[in-house]
Amino acid sequence: MYLRRIFSIQNAAMLGVVIIAALVPLQLGNNQYNMVLATTVLLYAVLASAWNIIGGMAGQLDLAVGAFVGVGAFTSGTLLIRWDVTPWIGMPIGGLVAVGVAVLIGFPMFRFKIKEVWYALVSIALVEVMRVLFLMWGEVGGPTERYLPIDTWSWYHLRFNTYMPYYYILLVMLVIVLLVNRWIRDTKLGYSLLALGEDEDAVEVLGVDVRAAKLKALVIYAFIAGAVGGLYANIYGFIHPTVFSTDMSVEVMILGIVGGLGITYGPVTAAIVLVIIREYLRAKLGGELAGLYLMVYAVVLILVALYQPRGLVPLFNKGWERLKSYWGARQRERGIPTSIENK
Amino acid sequence: MNVESQPLLRTSNLTVTFGRLVAVNDVSLEIYPGELVGLIGPNGAGKTTLFNAIIGLNRPASGAVFFKGVNVTNFLPHKICRLGMSRTFQVTRAFVHMSVEDAVRVGAYNRCNERNVRDKVDEVIAFCELNDIRKRVSSDVGLASLRRVELARALATDPDLLLLDEAGAGLNTTELSAFMNLLTQLNQDRRITLLVVEHVMRMVMGVCQRIFVLDAGSLIATGNPEQVSSNERVIEAYLGKRA
Amino acid sequence: MAETFVQSIITGVMMGAIYALIALGLSIIFGVMNVANFAHGEFVMISMYLTYLIGSTLVWDAVATPLITVPILFAFGFIAYYLLIDRTLRESYVVPLAVTVGLGIFLRSMALILWKAQPRALQYSIIQGNIHLGPYMILTSRLVAAIASVLFIAAFAYFLYKTWAGAAIRAASDDLDAASLMGVNYHRTYALTFAIGSALTAVAGGLLMSFQQTDPTGGSRFGLLSYAVVALAGLGSLPGLLIAGMIVAIAEALAMSFFDPRSRLLAIYLVFILILWLKPKGLFGRK
Repeated sequence: MYLRRIFSIQNAAMLGVVIIAALVPLQLGNNQYNMVLATTVLLYAVLASAWNIIGGMAGQLDLAVGAFVGVGAFTSGTLLIRWDVTPWIGMPIGGLVAVGVAVLIGFPMFRFKIKEVWYALVSIALVEVMRVLFLMWGEVGGPTERYLPIDTWSWYHLRFNTYMPYYYILLVMLVIVLLVNRWIRDTKLGYSLLALGEDEDAVEVLGVDVRAAKLKALVIYAFIAGAVGGLYANIYGFIHPTVFSTDMSVEVMILGIVGGLGITYGPVTAAIVLVIIREYLRAKLGGELAGLYLMVYAVVLILVALYQPRGLVPLFNKGWERLKSYWGARQRERGIPTSIENK
Repeated sequence: MNVESQPLLRTSNLTVTFGRLVAVNDVSLEIYPGELVGLIGPNGAGKTTLFNAIIGLNRPASGAVFFKGVNVTNFLPHKICRLGMSRTFQVTRAFVHMSVEDAVRVGAYNRCNERNVRDKVDEVIAFCELNDIRKRVSSDVGLASLRRVELARALATDPDLLLLDEAGAGLNTTELSAFMNLLTQLNQDRRITLLVVEHVMRMVMGVCQRIFVLDAGSLIATGNPEQVSSNERVIEAYLGKRA
Repeated sequence: MAETFVQSIITGVMMGAIYALIALGLSIIFGVMNVANFAHGEFVMISMYLTYLIGSTLVWDAVATPLITVPILFAFGFIAYYLLIDRTLRESYVVPLAVTVGLGIFLRSMALILWKAQPRALQYSIIQGNIHLGPYMILTSRLVAAIASVLFIAAFAYFLYKTWAGAAIRAASDDLDAASLMGVNYHRTYALTFAIGSALTAVAGGLLMSFQQTDPTGGSRFGLLSYAVVALAGLGSLPGLLIAGMIVAIAEALAMSFFDPRSRLLAIYLVFILILWLKPKGLFGRK
């Protein structure tokens, strides 16, 4: 029974996508622009898949990813600039710092009986506040960019003259995050999270410590975001308070919702589609209309929220189911026995 | 009926207020292990509020709740559940998007770890006769079955004391008899102490060994079914004072 | 030192009244529908831009613009409710929130595209100049705005407690089932609430434009301070809202004077977090 789950269609499809994704850079190799695009897609795919844990499974609207990524970037970047600490160490440390911030916010907000909406508000404000804080904190931040050491090919400094290594690192991270998603789902934490998203009171009475569950989800997600932040700093080559971006928070949330709350492969799918649309818009319209993509994102979000709140990926599932039953019907017409599905 | 000297659940001068409204007024009661006790009273008497206060969903204004000798008055519900108390809700609060067996599994994790949780789920589902609908999404399940799902969920937490809030409402005669048998089974075979809020008198009189009567937040009578049904104050409460 | 302190208090008290007015719209929406309108700050920002447009093209004084902007925002709120919120209320709590986030982002992007990032301001209105009380300076327009805010809040209190529509709103916020049994159509009441909440931002926007400038990013700041004020005040008390507004404004003024002018956001956030930590129901909350 377990084997059957591992070999489900979705897992197979995702494995296929991962393999294709792994081959992409070999094809794009020299086209720098497309490599950047692909890397950006992966970046958002990782963030959105991590966000899925708190936003999709736990059902808490979180808009703090900009804060976690920023804090991770500054931690890892500062460690690299000041003390030549490799980002391989800096990234996990950045993740831990992000966790610290997350717990600071989550602990008071996740208390029983506090309306969940307060967490959402606190989280979106957190990003802006961090930005101002780091702008004022001249020692570490300040108004000018701080550049990371430049190397043509250094695994220690994690600086390269091409995007390819970053791409693969992100790909590995994505696989890990997806596995984490799947793993959570099959354990007590996953069941607790999904249930508390339905009815917090009912779930408390069944023995689920709601606050602890939410905190666990938050911590896992914050760690991943913080670690990604460290990599982010290396990809862009500098750290600056603008890395604390509410736009990023909103975009990640949109990916999570459009993909389908709680659906493991949803955010990845949404990332592929929406980020490509975004870059296309940015390239085509450019200049003053650059902000238009955000309007488009907003409209997509509103439309999805209104008409398909469960996300777009379930639509694919439904389409797939229809195809299967159609095929099954045709086979039956021809008198060929089809496999017995367990329903 | 085996009655030990130490009460399983004890409330002491429990009072719950909402602003100036006193919903539960100075209620002191005791329930012993192995009992099947009913809690009745006219609408608005405060029965559900009392339940909520016992299980930790509402903070009492004064008084205390003791479970297994432990003062659980200000405990969060999940801690109380860990100790061995669980409840069902009057308006079924199903996990709408989850399947029946997933919902039961949430409760099962209270006492089980990853290794034996599936067995527990199977066992509870079998007991509550939910096998044919176990994979169905809760929103797809009919009311009577939903009641059983809610019961199964609470049962999966392995409680020593189970609070049932109007679980018999809206059931037809056959369903009601089946439910009454289920309660007796839970109480006798599985040794679960039950505190049952009910309006369906047939059920209360039929299975409860002892009954508490609540009116306007105060406890006005206790006793076995015969005593309670002939108690003047109880009759008054239900029918209104005689002019 | 002491002078700066007192000056901050004076400014804070005045701004506080205005902040309370901004937060009022949010407070009733939140109190009645339990929906946090993430776009609230953006509504204020849009009101300010509309005021700017009207003020510069029709050459009206900022304080007269609410005559036009209020109905516009009222209609906008009404439509926004039916289009966006009404349907999503039944779903999990995430969906209506996400929708308002989307709306806010939409408005902000639109403002950025239409008006670019430069701040806009109106020519000074008839209310000009300063009043001097010893060493302290009071901006006349700010004082007028503050007084007007208090008057508006009082007028709103009258509406809430002495009219049928107001009673419907109060009833809906207390107990929805009972209210609908009494014949209150909850859809319409919600729509009305949302519309009124939005219209109030128009008043605040007009008052603000008499002495401030507007830019597309102002929305997030107004949003944060509205929430801080609502959290601090708690739901259900109008005077409490005024006091909460003043506390937030004073904290902001003090931080800017004594710490760093850029720290205004930090001060507000600190108040926000502290109150949620220590007294989640707010200082004067009933629920």
